[in-house]
Amino acid sequence: MATSITENNSSVTSRPAWASALGVVTIVLGVFLSAYHGNEVMKQAVMVAHMPASGELPAAECPDDELEEEGLTVAECEYMVTHIEGIALSTPGWFPGVQMWLAGIGTVIAFISIIVGGALVNYNPLASGGAVLVFAVLILVDVGQFAAVVNTGPILRDIYLWSILLWFLIHLMMLCAVIAGRQGNGQTT
Amino acid sequence: MQKQGYSRTAVILHWLLAVSIFFLFISSWWMLGLPLPSKEMQFRAFPFQLHKNIGITLVLVIALLLYVRFKHRPAPVTSTAMKPWMHKLATVDHIIIYLLILATCVSGYLSSAHTRWDTVVWWVLEMPRIAEANEDMNEFYSDIHLWTAWALLGVVAVHISGAIYHAFLNDGIVRRMMRW
Repeated sequence: MATSITENNSSVTSRPAWASALGVVTIVLGVFLSAYHGNEVMKQAVMVAHMPASGELPAAECPDDELEEEGLTVAECEYMVTHIEGIALSTPGWFPGVQMWLAGIGTVIAFISIIVGGALVNYNPLASGGAVLVFAVLILVDVGQFAAVVNTGPILRDIYLWSILLWFLIHLMMLCAVIAGRQGNGQTT
Repeated sequence: MQKQGYSRTAVILHWLLAVSIFFLFISSWWMLGLPLPSKEMQFRAFPFQLHKNIGITLVLVIALLLYVRFKHRPAPVTSTAMKPWMHKLATVDHIIIYLLILATCVSGYLSSAHTRWDTVVWWVLEMPRIAEANEDMNEFYSDIHLWTAWALLGVVAVHISGAIYHAFLNDGIVRRMMRW
């Protein structure tokens, strides 16, 4: 196992390099994922709160000053309404609730992963076990979201599937990395 | 003797700031794709108000973080892995990050202050109007808000690269910001 090159802190040498690297990657990704899931919760809440039951929205209002301020054409302004309408029409009734729950759990666990990442960097006794648990729950959230989106339609699959798959693979790699690190250190998973 | 790392308060504020900033980026990309507001379509109302609330709060958070950092300075880095140019780059990068966060928040507020939309901080405290609605001023500050935000993303990328570099070296430098 690689050791540290620090000259001023002898305790650092007892902390494995894999835990330091994986810990910081966990923290950085945890920051992104907290923001990503948090935004998803807001997206679903806003859509549910403002979408009429009929699923049809009034015609777009596109005043010149607003168009100029946002650098939009009239066609783009009108498309923004059509786009939201299209998403709403392709969203099954059960989807926002499920997505909000999963994204809510994802936000909390992603935030916890930042703390776990810090524990990995410091290599606390429970850090790697906590990391296994957190990555496993994040994988379950990814799988849950993937299954939910697969059962919607092509429009939502286009919007969500690739990013969910990417997060799933990242979490899977991180889980494998921490398991391998534990085994290298003689710990069991 | 000085502590090796930053104080726990500084660490918590730092990570709170990080999550908030990325939430503001991701949510702003989404909310600017929502239909323009009208009487019947208010999709933008909540996300914009939340965006402003978090931005205003960030100014307070960063002021507190700076206070805590100057009050409890950690011991200087002595690792041989930290070359002098890296130390200079890290210092300059930190200063630019702080300045850009403040500039982004302040320009965002000033842009909003020149629109017809009021700001109610966390839906409780109504911010007094500091200016009348003025399209030109709104666009001016909005442009500053936009470009400082893009610049912030760039320097944050440098900041993260530095953290990852030192984490892979396992030289103990990133541990200074990981004290729970």
